[in-house]
Amino acid sequence: MARIRIIFENGDPERVIEFDPARAPFQHDGKPGSILDVLLGHGIHLEHACGGNCACTTCHVIVKGGSKALSESDESEEDLLDKAPGLTPTSRLGCQAVVEDPDAEIVVVIPRYTINQIVSEHGG
Amino acid sequence: MAVEYEARVARIVEHAPDTRSLFLSGPRIAFRPGQFISCLLPVGGETLIRPYSLASSPEEDDLEICLNLVPGGRASPYLLTLPVGAQVRFTGPWGTFVLDRAPEAEAVFIADGTGIAPIRPMLRRALATATRHPLRLLYGAESRERLLYRTELEAMAREHRDFHNEHVPSARLRDEVARRWVDGDADRARRFFICGVGAIVPALRDLLRGAGYERRAVQYEKW
Repeated sequence: MARIRIIFENGDPERVIEFDPARAPFQHDGKPGSILDVLLGHGIHLEHACGGNCACTTCHVIVKGGSKALSESDESEEDLLDKAPGLTPTSRLGCQAVVEDPDAEIVVVIPRYTINQIVSEHGG
Repeated sequence: MAVEYEARVARIVEHAPDTRSLFLSGPRIAFRPGQFISCLLPVGGETLIRPYSLASSPEEDDLEICLNLVPGGRASPYLLTLPVGAQVRFTGPWGTFVLDRAPEAEAVFIADGTGIAPIRPMLRRALATATRHPLRLLYGAESRERLLYRTELEAMAREHRDFHNEHVPSARLRDEVARRWVDGDADRARRFFICGVGAIVPALRDLLRGAGYERRAVQYEKW
């Protein structure tokens, strides 16, 4: 079984999910077996304004452990992460990072804010 | 959790039998040209989350979303049968594919099909803040009849000397981009804003970046 430990930057209690990656998808948004898919499929809310289609940064997570068990990011994900607030060297988009190792031990932090609702002075 | 808004369909414009604009009235939200809202649609006993680019400008009262029927899709058949007066819940604005003012360089907007939706308010903003640099739109569609906002775009081109509006068949979009801005000259200072559905978008991104344009000079949104 794979495990994901989820730490919420907003202070919500930590959660741990145990799951079998081979049983993905767990619901219908994001790549099957992605962190987003696993969290939503286990009743944990993770914002995904674009529906999990790699078109926003609202599912930004920071991987604190077990990153090698995840699929590699591609250029589209990197381009979006480039605009994510609080970007770190281990940031990923939850909808794109797929848990590939059946025995993965992953730790992720869910950041408090997203950039998407920040508007410019021209916002009107 | 994101703040949810509730809007009402105030008006429907049918661009083609399978393509419509819905004008949503109610909450007045601040957004940046290019952003999208995320509709929460009650379909089949669950809530589908579907993003739709805002085709209207931030200065307008109603929010316009423009969509076409997606074969096999669940959200577009629902939205395309909504009557005037129907309620639509959404969150947003979202998205980082934005333009706040005209770039300090030649700007090229490339849209394919309904990818014109976010490009339209970006173009309007670019024209309102235009510098001495040219603004170009290359718009791919199956046919001239399938071009959305054609009259408006042609009028914009007549009114603004520095705005150049051209359309090509979608199938030729990649070749035309290569001919004009890859093989055409060695200028790599242009800024690109690309939106469309599917593989054409990363294909254009890779073409332009591979030709020497800087990564951040090639902005895109793929639906």
